[in-house]
Amino acid sequence: MEDLMKDLAGAKPPTPEVNQDRMERDLARIVALPREKPARKVFVRRFAPLAVVAAVIALAVVVLPEPSPPVQPAAPGQWWRVLRQQSSLMVVGEPAKPYVVRFDSKTDQWQAGTREIAVVQKDGEVEPFSPDDDAKWEAAGRPEVVPQVGGSRWVRLGSMVPGAKESYVSGLSLTSMYWDRLESFDDLPADPAGILEKLKPEGKSTYQLAELVMAVLVADVRDDQRRAAFELLRSFDGVRYLDRVQLRDERVGVGVAIPAPPQFQFGDVETQFVINPDTGKPIVRRNIITKPQHGLAASTPISEEEYLLLEKTNVEPVLPLGVTVNSEVESPIIER
Amino acid sequence: MEEFSAVYRECYPRVLAYAASHAGARLAEDITSETFTIAWRKSGQMPSNALPWLLGIARNLVRAAVRQTTHYELTDFPADDDFAVIELRAALSTLSEADQEVLTLIAWHGLAAAEAAQVLGCTTATFFVRLHRARRRLQAALWTPKFDRARESWKTS
Repeated sequence: MEDLMKDLAGAKPPTPEVNQDRMERDLARIVALPREKPARKVFVRRFAPLAVVAAVIALAVVVLPEPSPPVQPAAPGQWWRVLRQQSSLMVVGEPAKPYVVRFDSKTDQWQAGTREIAVVQKDGEVEPFSPDDDAKWEAAGRPEVVPQVGGSRWVRLGSMVPGAKESYVSGLSLTSMYWDRLESFDDLPADPAGILEKLKPEGKSTYQLAELVMAVLVADVRDDQRRAAFELLRSFDGVRYLDRVQLRDERVGVGVAIPAPPQFQFGDVETQFVINPDTGKPIVRRNIITKPQHGLAASTPISEEEYLLLEKTNVEPVLPLGVTVNSEVESPIIER
Repeated sequence: MEEFSAVYRECYPRVLAYAASHAGARLAEDITSETFTIAWRKSGQMPSNALPWLLGIARNLVRAAVRQTTHYELTDFPADDDFAVIELRAALSTLSEADQEVLTLIAWHGLAAAEAAQVLGCTTATFFVRLHRARRRLQAALWTPKFDRARESWKTS
C-alpha cells in the first residue's frame, strides 16, 4: 500500500511554473481590497454575569416547512446564509458485535424575510467512524444497511442523497407550539436581561433556554445583540465558561459548556458552544460524552455542527443539480 | 499586511499546484488569485498553519469551476508520460471524486493527514478511514481485467 502511494506521488501532474509578475500583481491588488473588520476583542469579558430563572416547555428552532403561497424572490443582498458542517455518531450492528458509524453532511440555509431555502444532506456520507470500526464492518460482510443498536430503525451506509426544501416562516420558534414565536430579530434588545425577557423564560428549563439563545447566536442578529446573547448564555446556572478552546484548524475560540439531556444512545452528555472571540460569531456547537461509552473515550464529540458560513450575501441560493425542491428527502435512517 | 504577504508568497505555488491538478492549468491562476482574495478578506481567521485553510478555500472554488467547465478543459496531462503513470492516473480517474481528493492531498500535495483532514473538514480519524478505503479502491482499480490486459500488452511490446 505504501508503494502504491509512492507510485501515485510519481504520477503527479507537472506543477505549473509560478508567473512571478502575475503573482506580485495579484498581491498588490488583493492587499488594496478592504478586509472584514474584526469586532472588538475580549468583548466577552466585559459583561457581568446575570442571575437567570429556569423552567419548563419544549422548544423547536426555526424551520417549520409549512407550505404557503409563493412569494417573489428576495432582492439581492437580503439573504442570511448559514452553512453548517454536521456530523454525528451512532452505534450500529448486531448487539454482540456493535460498531460506530459517523454521519457527515452539510446543511446550506438561506433566509430572506419569511422565505427560507435549505439544502440538506449536501456532500453527505455515512461510514465507519474509526479504522477499528471499519474492520468490524468489514468482518460483518460490509453490509450496506445495518440496524441501530437499541433503536428500531436501519442505517444505510454510503453517500447521502441531497435534498432541498423551501418554506415560509421567520424568526425563532419559542415553544413546540409554532405560533409562539419571536417573529423578528430587529427589536431584540442588546442586553442580556432584555433578551431573556423576549425569550419568555417562564416554564423553560435552563437547557431549553440555552438552546434558544444558541439559535439567536446563529441567526441574522446585530453584533451587539449577539454579544449580549452570548453573555446571557454564559450567565445561566450550571454553565461553565471555556476561556480557551483549541479547534482542529488551529483556531482558538471561547465558549460555554452546559450539561445536556441524554441523546438517544448516549448519556452523560455536555453541550459545548464555541464562538470566535474577535467576531462574536459561532464556530461550532457540539455534544460530547463526559464518560466513556460504547468504546468511545470521554470527551468524544457524538455530534457536531460547525458553522462554515454565517453571513449576509448577494449570492442567490445554489441548489444541487437534479434536486427537486420540496421533494421527499431520502434519509439514511430508514424504517425496519 | 506583511504577515499576509509572507504567507502569500510561501503558499502561492502550492495553492497553484492544487488548483492546476484539480481544475487544469488554464483556470489555476484565476482560482489561486481568488483564493487569496477571499483569504485576505477573512485574514482575521487565518490560522498560523495557513496552507490547509487556503486549500480548503481553493477546494470550494475548484468545485464551482469544475461545475461550469467541460471535461476536456480539465484534462491537460502531458502525453509523453510512461505507461505506468498513465495507467495509474487512469485508475485514479475511475475513483469517486472524494477518493481522488483523499489520495491526492497526501500523494500530490504533500499534506500530513491532520492537514488533509482540515482541508476536507473532517477529523483526522475519519480521514484515515477514508484514506485506507481509497487506497484499497485504487489498488482494486489497478487490477481490473481492463488494466491487466493493458499491462500485459505493455510488457510484451
